[in-house]
Amino acid sequence: MECSCLTEKIGVVGIGHAKFGKRTDATIRELAHEAVKPALEDAGITTADIDASVIGVAGDVFAAQGSPGALIHDYVGMGNKPMFRVEAACATGSAGVRTAWSLIKAGLAGVVIVIGAETMTHSGTPMATEWMARAGDTRWEYPFGITFPSFYALMATRHMHEFGTTRMQLSMVSVKSHKYGTMNPYAHLQKEVTLEEAMKSVPICQPLNLYDCCLISDGAAAAILANEEKAKKITDTPIWITGLGSASDTMMISERPSLTSLTASKLAAERAYEMAGVTPNDIDVACTHDCFSIAEIMSYEDLGFCKKGDGGKFIEEGQSHIGGRVPINVDGGLKSKGHPLGATGVSMTVEITRQLRGEAWKRQVSDAEIGLTHNVGETGQYCFVHIYMR
Amino acid sequence: MKFGYTSWLPETDLMVKFTEALKEGKLIGTKCRKCGEKYLPPRVHCKCGSHEVEWYETPTRGKLFSYTLITFPPDSMARYAPYIVAIAELEDGSRLLAQITGVSPKTLHVGLPVQVVPHQISEDRIVYKFKPEQPIS
Repeated sequence: MECSCLTEKIGVVGIGHAKFGKRTDATIRELAHEAVKPALEDAGITTADIDASVIGVAGDVFAAQGSPGALIHDYVGMGNKPMFRVEAACATGSAGVRTAWSLIKAGLAGVVIVIGAETMTHSGTPMATEWMARAGDTRWEYPFGITFPSFYALMATRHMHEFGTTRMQLSMVSVKSHKYGTMNPYAHLQKEVTLEEAMKSVPICQPLNLYDCCLISDGAAAAILANEEKAKKITDTPIWITGLGSASDTMMISERPSLTSLTASKLAAERAYEMAGVTPNDIDVACTHDCFSIAEIMSYEDLGFCKKGDGGKFIEEGQSHIGGRVPINVDGGLKSKGHPLGATGVSMTVEITRQLRGEAWKRQVSDAEIGLTHNVGETGQYCFVHIYMR
Repeated sequence: MKFGYTSWLPETDLMVKFTEALKEGKLIGTKCRKCGEKYLPPRVHCKCGSHEVEWYETPTRGKLFSYTLITFPPDSMARYAPYIVAIAELEDGSRLLAQITGVSPKTLHVGLPVQVVPHQISEDRIVYKFKPEQPIS
């Protein structure tokens, strides 16, 4: 293992994606394999060429397995190599990408595979709802009967109050996700919805209804990262990760000065833009954290794609569609593609890599050169922003 | 006395003191003797690292800051559903999360004047909740 010098670039050289969905045909390790195999084939290497793994699984409870990282590392044939398991709630996968990048930058490894996986349907929706609710402060939030979507509903109420964001604008996010989900063979949902259907669906925690909420899914994704020298040997089309930003926030949302913005998103984005030497105007395509419709609207604002408060208008004008100012979540997003927690951030890296390589099929954003991923854990207690270039 | 509709955490000294005051209709927070930071809900330790905190009585009046009507609760809360969880901004600017009762979803609005009051859920469980300052018909 040679030490990579500090100026050396780090790139994505292989990607793989399992079918997201209600996957009762496979357990978590088999889903991980379904993502790892194509990633190795894509890079044209074997596990013998990989120095270490970083494995992202958010919940042992969902997998019904202690140390799921060890289970996956062994199953995919990584043998005695070093392994990290990371956890950052819904941003676990991106924490994995950041960890792998850091390992390579530190010279501890030349090639690292990041595997994100989660099985959320295996334990049933009530179990998933219960554990998601416990992601809030279990002393001062959970005892009031708060659910995970309710945190975002509190933000939505406030966003509607402060900026006049409308029910229709929220639903437009969902309509867009479903439209692009039909163009992604790995997406959980493959069906379009009308604006009327989205606006009138079952209330979950008002103002949010069923179509404002992401799915409970099983899935896995894998990305192989390498230092500059190895990346150039492995592939002619490495996608360089040139900017990384991360930030966090208070555990209790009542302690935050604003409910209409995620401070962690803003800080992480600022750091990533600065490191990559780009501005929001330079981004050609992005995957942002749309666990709920309001989250995608806030992401437009927090990442600087539009002014604060203009997120609703941004979707209404079609600016986040292909052909708009910056196409966002054209892989279907968390809403339609699915949100298997540990897999999500890695899946975002896979999508942006595909887009920058020009391999995104019907949903290809033409001439995409610079991409961004934005992955939020919980309600902003974790946030990771990465910037990618051809 | 346990705190909240549902919880499994131990009722520590902090919680015993807090719920005893709550039973008498008082809401108490903690204030750091070192940096002056105030916490509601209370904490044993300050974020500045100090463990020298003292109790203070907080305002119980405020205005609704945000809210959501929960119709899809976790199983442990199913018997209380539907219910409204809200955040209120108290007179000293601090914010608190709790359920609100005595309102219908249609009469709810940001800015509604509310009071924080104790609510005995069962013989062994207590919580605070918001209720409108003026009864709403």
